Amino acid sequence: MISLVGFSSLCLSTLFSFLVLIPKSIINLKIKYFYVILRFSTLLICVSFLSLMTAYITSDFSNFNVFQNSHSDKPLIYKISGTWGNHEGSILLWLSMISIYGFLYSFISRSFDGFKINVLKIQNGIFLIFSLFVIFTSNPFLVNSVDVNEGLGLNPILQDPALAIHPPMLYLGYVGFSLVFSLGIASLLENNNDQHWIVETKKWSIVSWTFLTAGIALGSYWAYYELGWGGWWFWDPVENISLMPWIVGLALVHSLIMIRGEQAIERWIVFLSILCFSLSVLGTFLVRSGILTSVHSFASDASRGLFILLIFFLTTGFGFLIFLIKSPTKKNNLRLLLINKTSALIINNILMIIAMLTILLGTIYPIIIEVLTNTRISVGGPYFNSTVLPILLPGFLLMSVAPVLSWQSNRIKKFRNYVIVFLLLSLFVCLHAYFTDFNIWGFIGFLLGSWIIFASILSIILRYKFLFSFNYLKSINSFVAHIGVGIMIIGITFSSIYQNEYNFEISSGDKINVDGKVLKLENVKVVQEKNYQSLKATFSVKKGEELVGYILPAKNFYPVSKMITTEAGIYHDWLQDIYMILGNEQDGVWSVKVYLNPLVSFIWIGVFIMIFSGFIAIFKR
Amino acid sequence: MKFQHYFNLVLYFLFFFICNSVLSAEDLNNKIKKLTLELRCMTCQNQSVYDSDSEFANDIKNIVKEKFNEGLNEKEIKIFLTDRYGEYILFKPYFNLKNMLLWITPFLILLVSLGFFARNLKKTQSN
Repeated sequence: MISLVGFSSLCLSTLFSFLVLIPKSIINLKIKYFYVILRFSTLLICVSFLSLMTAYITSDFSNFNVFQNSHSDKPLIYKISGTWGNHEGSILLWLSMISIYGFLYSFISRSFDGFKINVLKIQNGIFLIFSLFVIFTSNPFLVNSVDVNEGLGLNPILQDPALAIHPPMLYLGYVGFSLVFSLGIASLLENNNDQHWIVETKKWSIVSWTFLTAGIALGSYWAYYELGWGGWWFWDPVENISLMPWIVGLALVHSLIMIRGEQAIERWIVFLSILCFSLSVLGTFLVRSGILTSVHSFASDASRGLFILLIFFLTTGFGFLIFLIKSPTKKNNLRLLLINKTSALIINNILMIIAMLTILLGTIYPIIIEVLTNTRISVGGPYFNSTVLPILLPGFLLMSVAPVLSWQSNRIKKFRNYVIVFLLLSLFVCLHAYFTDFNIWGFIGFLLGSWIIFASILSIILRYKFLFSFNYLKSINSFVAHIGVGIMIIGITFSSIYQNEYNFEISSGDKINVDGKVLKLENVKVVQEKNYQSLKATFSVKKGEELVGYILPAKNFYPVSKMITTEAGIYHDWLQDIYMILGNEQDGVWSVKVYLNPLVSFIWIGVFIMIFSGFIAIFKR
Repeated sequence: MKFQHYFNLVLYFLFFFICNSVLSAEDLNNKIKKLTLELRCMTCQNQSVYDSDSEFANDIKNIVKEKFNEGLNEKEIKIFLTDRYGEYILFKPYFNLKNMLLWITPFLILLVSLGFFARNLKKTQSN
């Protein structure tokens, strides 16, 4: 019953969005009704999504999708998150978000009606294409042909709080770029040289970028403690795919600062907006068609892949076609100097685009080679580390001082202060390198990270002005964001290069000594949870005589899907994570793997600061 | 001038430190770690041999250790492994004709775009 409601509102919503797209010459729709129909369509798609969610919550196994991906034993939160834990449901979520973004835009935007309607029409076009995709290839409302009273269950690895909210966050990012895309195209269709769209593009691209950052961070945090591989970023194809629109979004956000009435940059911004959304769709295609091997294994099928490829060519082709047809009307040159703010921003853009292209190339190259020569190759972490990182390095170096560069000249005020700070820093970093194992990447990463942090702090200090007001916070926002990046770079450098790994064979009651801390295996016991059995080891952590905490590495067994997942036990400390994985048992002796990951917390702090400054940037000055 | 003087002093100091630190030697375990990080565990999902605990990964780790002890260098071990398992095992593909595009393209684009940038820079400065 509930599935019927869902499906019919999905179809109605599609119908309404089609109605809006009919050209003026056939039906002359009044502006008032245009908005009404549009918003009604959004409400309908939300009803559709909510009814799927209701089917999941009530475990309505007459719905085929629920039957395949849910189980009545699951806790409520995973019943809800199960809605988007599968292909059909997640595409429906994607679809609703396209519509919701349009809905919000129709309320928030202060542009005049002509422009607004163009934006909404394009947004609706995208919605229509995707809704046809849902109806014809990925319908989540199919009826289960057999009568059953239990479902097949959700993949246990997805049953995790971070992963429950990871897809919606990520999608808010990806889909947000669809609105940026619509804004870009609408600005091309417009003939006068009004600048209002830039303000809107800025706002919405920062919104999307911030959500995308949060989504990616949640995903990698999940990978850190759930996969139990000791790391948090694996250059997995799906990770790469999420990184591409993220990088282009970052380039977009930065070029929006550059606008000073130059048409060249306006065109560039439109180009980036189109590219961003294209990459989001391309990513969906690559993941859902099953072309790539990855940790993210959704059931995939060829007809879906073909359909998404079609969508990709439609949107990208349409976007770039209009981009090419509408040639620039005036030409004025940019003011480039070595190095002023404009050229720093341009170099930043160039480097980011090249980084994105490299990631794209590395991700699809194995496919190309397999098609052409029928040999399989892999392109993994080591390739990206030795190409993307060196390309980005000059950008990182530049970003430390970029916010204080001037638009007009190539001088930095109080230049000498920066030189002194840089020298002191490098002295410190050299000392650090001297007293620990020297590693060239460790050296560069540490120097760069700390240089970015200190240069940004210095720039804030040199303004000789401290205020407790929102406007002040907003004016130093770029420095704050860059400090976040610096902290993140230090975290990444240390956690990947100075990671230590130990293996122990240990039985109950034994103590092991790791880096001045004593870990004692208190007990190993089986705990019965709601929908799984957990084999939990309890380690007490003692620093000297003082008990500072417990580490609980575990293995969970999910009887429904007959799968075992490893849960890493982590003791978080500001400076070091103790990360433990429970191995196998032999005659009461457990093999245990212990990683000491220094400064991992810096990564999350850095990301948090970036997200924070993203939020600050959204609000008006 | 005084500033310049101190600047030079600090630079000498830094140079001394770096030279000292680079000269630390590489031991066998590091060599094994470095190589196995670049090998794909063929029975896992996108995981390196080093990070994995599967049977396959442990076999490969032993093979790598053996070969290092036999006196083979990193390159020779890689060739041995690719003969046996195919190029798929390498996370960092060989630099050869087939993979030329993969390795060259990023840096080529970088050069070209920086060239363009430099040309535009000159143009604005002559204006």
